Amino acid sequence: MRPAILNDLTKCIGCEACALACKEVNGLPDRDRRGTLSADTWTAVEHRNGLHIRRQCMHCLEPACASVCPVAALHKTPEGPVVYDADRCIGCRYCMVVCPFGIPKYEWDEPVPKVRKCVLCFETRLEEGRQPACTEACPTGATIFGDRDELVREAQRRIEAEPGRYVPRIYGLEEAGGTSVLYLSPVPFEELGFATLRDEPYPGLTWDILSKLPNVVSVGGVLLAGIWWITGRRETLKKARSGEISVEEALARKPPLVPLDDDDRAAPL
Amino acid sequence: MSATADRPRPRIGVWQAVLLAILAFGAYATVIRYAQGLGAATNLSDAFPWGLWIGFDMLVGVGLAAGGFVVAATVHIFRMERYEPIARPAVLTAFLGYLLVIVALLYDLGLPWRIWHPMVMWNPHSVMFEVGWCVMLYTTVLALEFSPLVFERFGLKMPLKVIRAIYVPLVILGVLLSTLHQSSLGTLYVIAPDKLHGLWYTPLLPVFFFVSAVAAGVAMTIFESFMSYRAFGKRLEADLLRGLGRVIVVALGVYAVLRFEDLAGRGALALAFRLTPEAVLFWGEMGLGVLLPMALFAFKRVRASEQGLFFAALLTVMGFIVNRLNVAITGMQASSGVTYIPSMLEFAVTASLVAAGFALFGLAVKYLPVFPPGEVEPGRAPRRERRLALSRGTVALLWGLLLAGALGVAVSSALNGGAGRGDEAAPVAPLSAHVAEVEAELTSLPAPYTFPTAEESPGPVVFDHETHAALAESCLTCHASGWSVTIPGRPLAGELTYERIHEGDLCASCHDGESATAVDDDCAFCHGG
Repeated sequence: MRPAILNDLTKCIGCEACALACKEVNGLPDRDRRGTLSADTWTAVEHRNGLHIRRQCMHCLEPACASVCPVAALHKTPEGPVVYDADRCIGCRYCMVVCPFGIPKYEWDEPVPKVRKCVLCFETRLEEGRQPACTEACPTGATIFGDRDELVREAQRRIEAEPGRYVPRIYGLEEAGGTSVLYLSPVPFEELGFATLRDEPYPGLTWDILSKLPNVVSVGGVLLAGIWWITGRRETLKKARSGEISVEEALARKPPLVPLDDDDRAAPL
Repeated sequence: MSATADRPRPRIGVWQAVLLAILAFGAYATVIRYAQGLGAATNLSDAFPWGLWIGFDMLVGVGLAAGGFVVAATVHIFRMERYEPIARPAVLTAFLGYLLVIVALLYDLGLPWRIWHPMVMWNPHSVMFEVGWCVMLYTTVLALEFSPLVFERFGLKMPLKVIRAIYVPLVILGVLLSTLHQSSLGTLYVIAPDKLHGLWYTPLLPVFFFVSAVAAGVAMTIFESFMSYRAFGKRLEADLLRGLGRVIVVALGVYAVLRFEDLAGRGALALAFRLTPEAVLFWGEMGLGVLLPMALFAFKRVRASEQGLFFAALLTVMGFIVNRLNVAITGMQASSGVTYIPSMLEFAVTASLVAAGFALFGLAVKYLPVFPPGEVEPGRAPRRERRLALSRGTVALLWGLLLAGALGVAVSSALNGGAGRGDEAAPVAPLSAHVAEVEAELTSLPAPYTFPTAEESPGPVVFDHETHAALAESCLTCHASGWSVTIPGRPLAGELTYERIHEGDLCASCHDGESATAVDDDCAFCHGG
């Protein structure tokens, strides 16, 4: 079972019960509901073009944020949701730079600031077998919880059953390598501020480079040591030829000249 | 020879006052940063989480310290021992540079007291993890490469012997570590292809960062030599600096070719010919910081003249600074949807770190054997001759270029309607128009909702849609102003006061004793939980 959420934008009535429930379960102050995510708002409903679009962490299948976190504070659980261990975080904010959806928010004014985003009620509800607070609160079933494969099938079924109602695309199916939060929309997604992203997972971009580094180190190390050895030999030879040092000393010096046989020993220069 | 001839006194009279002023401002900024947090001290935001402290203090700081490993390798691995006299100042510059980078990190990290976490909490897939480790290890290497100066000063013979014995492996390790993290600072951005502007984004970022760091680090060594000449009367090894100049030509040449090839290959070259702030700053970086110094350094006449050497090195360093700031700030503006300008406090901290670097360098020169003995002859050349190498015309040219650049950025920004404003959301359509259609969609009513309970309350109030929906004519009865019962923008908890309800608002508009049980009739009716 891969936890996932399907947001059907044709069914959302903009009641914000999901946002309210999220705040309640996570103890977040209901200070400002302007339809945008913030450190205190982990899911928000944006009212746009006559539609109501729920925004939240997409819980990517291969999340960029978890891949870049130097201390694995943000990490993807085996079950699926991308969660945050506040005790590990050092506040480098690299996760915020790389998330292609711009999800993680920061507590800029707190003395011990945390990165904040939806964690799919992982510890509070999922681990007890319950669904997230947001999907449970939705009165119209616009946002529903289930297994990703089943939700994808459901989304496809809806598109086929009512082709006039939906744009034939499931957003999140392949974006960024696939996300756990999927969307169906009556209008093209670009018109609603959904970013057009690559289909390949983001972590691969840097792993392609990082994975080559051990080679760089080993080859580089041997190369540099070799240069030092060769230049040393050249220098010793030069000094011996110019008479600066004696032949015996040249032979005794480290790094040693190339392996000598008896002929070399007789006439090394 | 008296001791004072070997211990030069830095002539930084007026500069001392400037230094103190900068440091005072920096101290103030420090207090704000730690007492009130990053939000108060910086102009960083959720949309723009990395700014001047990353772009300049980290990226520029690490890059300009690259001279250390290049010169150390030149002397100890390639055994060009004639460069020995500039090896120590280069290592000193690098060591101070990395120390300041670590201090800068303590400002930028949200939780700086946890800076040690990557030592025990690992994520080998993270580029930042690798950078952190490499910087940590390389700073240790630099400290060890620097230690002979301290050991010599205090006559500690045994540690000196130990260090000398392991010096070559240290230098090799230093080159390897530097190669790794200089390039990885570029790799940091490879995972953000949608965010970094096409003029700078490329999977080859690590290569570009490494090559430019070599060029800039060597240019910084030339720059430092001139500064030492001016401040401490240190003899200028013009012939060595000329040799370094040739290295810079090659490095910049390789860089320019790779860069333009990469842009063309990715179809991004056209971006350089639009009138945008990005394009203007791109040409500033490439034209002034790469092509011009490359051309200058290639001419023997320029390399032979002190003025030429200094000017070309200065251009290279400035071009490098513009490049790193372009990657970290300029190139990230358009995708962010906001315009980021560093706050005065951010500038104060950055300026303080630079000032501290200069000051510490001066102190090191004063108390440690940084320069070979006999190299510093403060009284020797008449002051007139020791004036630093820029003529009035050159300075005017530099200012002119700076102003032209600023004008270019301003004009192109205006033409583009301000850098990267995100789309504003469309105004909200009145929801009442959708109510009928929507009521048909309802599959279930919301679950019973418990209102936030104040301390003085006799008990929690639970609202159940089931009991109310049957009574109301339609959802509009309560949700006329939108589906939030309270007015949008007003906090639910804060405004649900005893006074407001018991004075006839909200629930009491129906619960008035006529349409429904009045709020004042029986406390337990509502507060029964």
